[in-house]
Amino acid sequence: MSRVRFDFDDDSAVRMDEVGLNYHDGEDILRDVGLTLPKGSFSFLTGPSGAGKSTLLKLMYLALSPSRGDICLFGRSTRLLKRRDLVTLRRRIGVVFQEFRLLDHLSAFENVALPLRVAGHRLATYQNEVEDLLRWVGLSDRIDARPSELSGGEQQRVAIARALINKPDLLIADEPTGNVDPEMSRKILRLFMELNKRFGTTVFIATHDLALVDEFDRPAYEIHLGRLRGRRRGAAA
Amino acid sequence: MTRESPLLPVSDAREAALFFVIGALCFLAALAALTVRGTYVAAAAWGDQIEGEVTVILEDTDMRTAAEVASDIQNLSSVVDARILSRDEIEALLAPSFGPGGLPEGLPVPILIAVQADMSAGDPVPDIERLLRAADLAGDVGAHAGFAGHVRRALSVLRMVGLGAVGLLAATAISVIAFATHAALLARRDIVNVLHLSGAEDRFIAGLFARRFWGLASQAGIGGALAALMVTALIVFSASGRAGVEAELLPRLSLDIWDFLILSSAPVTAGLAARGAARLTVLRALKEMR
Ligand SMILES: Nc1ncnc2c1ncn2[C@@H]1O[C@H](COP(=O)(O)OP(=O)(O)O)[C@@H](O)[C@H]1O
Ligand SMILES: [Mg+2]
Repeated sequence: MSRVRFDFDDDSAVRMDEVGLNYHDGEDILRDVGLTLPKGSFSFLTGPSGAGKSTLLKLMYLALSPSRGDICLFGRSTRLLKRRDLVTLRRRIGVVFQEFRLLDHLSAFENVALPLRVAGHRLATYQNEVEDLLRWVGLSDRIDARPSELSGGEQQRVAIARALINKPDLLIADEPTGNVDPEMSRKILRLFMELNKRFGTTVFIATHDLALVDEFDRPAYEIHLGRLRGRRRGAAA
Repeated sequence: MTRESPLLPVSDAREAALFFVIGALCFLAALAALTVRGTYVAAAAWGDQIEGEVTVILEDTDMRTAAEVASDIQNLSSVVDARILSRDEIEALLAPSFGPGGLPEGLPVPILIAVQADMSAGDPVPDIERLLRAADLAGDVGAHAGFAGHVRRALSVLRMVGLGAVGLLAATAISVIAFATHAALLARRDIVNVLHLSGAEDRFIAGLFARRFWGLASQAGIGGALAALMVTALIVFSASGRAGVEAELLPRLSLDIWDFLILSSAPVTAGLAARGAARLTVLRALKEMR
């Protein structure tokens, strides 16, 4: 368990082994979590508010280190990785944060372009791409607006576009439909499915909206008392 | 509309306060350094001067003999200048004892020869005494070197105290700048976090903040140093009208190359302190974020 693993023929995007987490030596938020997301899969994570969904996602997008256990991304154990390699992995992951985390001194365009810019790409090489993506999420007329000038739903779509601009292998979305009406929720999910189908992007979505999970016929997990388990369809009814 | 605005917000109130703090600290430190240096230079020059001063007092002789002796003294290799003081000068010297009314008429006044020696070329006192003996003159040769020794010792203490004070002020300025930079950065943690999760490398993020705070602190430092320069120039200007002992003991703020080095080191030091603090703070915050 303590050695770095390089399972290059492993075709999972994410694999968690006996992962446990507690904040600042407090109570366990997650314990004995085992989870495998095959490459190209599309699945949901559910559970009541405060169950630990965001915490599990943070472990997955490398914002938190697990207190116990190991997390493998694209076949590589992340436990003993150098910081430089963590950066490389992060660039293969797109994240839609629950609270968006847009930078308010930057325009919608600049927020979406951020992952390319910090990786050293020049404006000329990505200008069209960013504009196309903003058009695709329906924000072609809000390209130069600041996040504070946008509605919650518009901000959410900027956050989604930023998560997608790197053409990530893994897309992690934390309550991506939390701030939009049911119609927009469905539009966003259909957009994720299109991405999944067209580019084989592995998609993992946390949501407490069980009706939505049931409507889209995809594997779902739920966190119950800190443990992760499969969720049977139709359990919402 | 620009599509590449700076990754860090242009400024905020916290940074305006930081700018003021750094500017004020640089002003104080630069002014203190200039004043300490000026005082030391003035005192050292004064010490050099009295160390080389020798007064020859001649009694029972006439002006003609005295003039010959003075010219003989003047010819000594270790003597820069030898000159007979006029009655007016002697009166001025003795005024503290006799009051400003002048010396009583008819009071015998000795002849004084003021000798300015170059002590590096040897002590002229034995030579002068030999000259007086050869001319068979009664006289007294008084050197001020003993007094100068006291001045020297006082000077070395002054130098240590001055350097200590400036060092302490500089160290305080550096730590206040580092601390204030750290505080200003805590408000930017969200930006650090977003850049980090967007796949930016640690040194990329640290570099952004290091450049930002280098610019802010060095500009504030330039402002503070310029203010110190203005105040100094004002002092030099207002003191240049005076003369005599009074002006001699004023800090000698000449504004030479050393003063400009002191002035320009303030913004550089402030910039480096803020830059280093920013880099360290960001790198530490990043380590905590995984
Ligand atoms: N940074 C943190 N420090 C301490 N406790 C936290 C932190 N983040 C979340 N928690 C706690 O962990 C639990 C799970 O939170 P979270 O993962 O956000 O749940 P969910 O996303 O399912 O609503 C909650 O009880 C929350 O208070
Ligand atoms: Mg959450």
